[in-house]
Amino acid sequence: MGHVLRDAPVGAPQDEGKKWKNKMSLLEVKDLKVRVEDREILHGLTLTVNPGEVHAIMGPNGSGKSTLCHVIAGKPGYEVTGGEILFRGEDLLEMAPDERAAKGVFLAFQYPVEIPGVATMTFLRTALNAQRKARGESEYSTPDFLKKVREVAKSLNIPQDMLQAAASMSAFPAARRSATRFCRWRCSSRAVCILDEMDSGLDIDALRVAADGVNALRSPDRAMVVITHYQRLLELHRA
Amino acid sequence: MPYVEAKNSSAHFEHEATTSKISEDVLFYCVQRGLSQEEAVGLVVNGFVKDVLQQLPMEFAVEAQKLISISLEGSVG
Repeated sequence: MGHVLRDAPVGAPQDEGKKWKNKMSLLEVKDLKVRVEDREILHGLTLTVNPGEVHAIMGPNGSGKSTLCHVIAGKPGYEVTGGEILFRGEDLLEMAPDERAAKGVFLAFQYPVEIPGVATMTFLRTALNAQRKARGESEYSTPDFLKKVREVAKSLNIPQDMLQAAASMSAFPAARRSATRFCRWRCSSRAVCILDEMDSGLDIDALRVAADGVNALRSPDRAMVVITHYQRLLELHRA
Repeated sequence: MPYVEAKNSSAHFEHEATTSKISEDVLFYCVQRGLSQEEAVGLVVNGFVKDVLQQLPMEFAVEAQKLISISLEGSVG
């Protein structure tokens, strides 16, 4: 597995570089060892992610990229046999996955997940409100939520018909793109966005959309970890 | 999805449905987006039964909904 630290923090002037060293890291993976069934997949991985950074992780299948994503997000089925993961100094491995989400960890899945019988908008509102509740924030009413969706869709240049297409995400390129873009939105309320091969199976246009989406969400407060096979996606990210 | 249809309106029938294991991936997706385990299971089950419930007469639909929530309590381990 290879690792590239892509950029200096967005918007940080050069002479403020020193300030970052004193700020707490967003995500610290320290000497992480993970087993899946009988095999050790991660053998002591260390990674530090600070706000504003974009980290790219590349490697062949089976090298542990998805394992890393899943363990950070809290997917069951993985055994951590050593090391630790800290999120803003707190022990992430002690937290349930939804707790980690409320704290600010976002994992973009490789393929859009559809829940039979549940419209995307319904799911989005339910999920957002669950997080807000966990953080002690007020929940969105349906009209407020729809208003928010329209605002965000407008800021991401998602046309009205794509908004409707997102209600059922079958494998059309347009729907795929809009799914990708919605993912961007969900990212926007989180501090650490882990993008697990979001570029799988995308054509060049959709790839550009995905890259633009990621660029649009970069901010000094947010960090991204991008898992990819494609060198091209990294080139599309602006420095 | 098992479906039982009674032609005789006075018939009393029961059907024990075995719930298939909700896809782990779908559940994980829900909790990663911030839902608790219970909320996730509830959402997914409601999604499954929604279209069946919509075809039932109103009084059955209400009863079915109640039964689902009761039987889901404590089923998340």
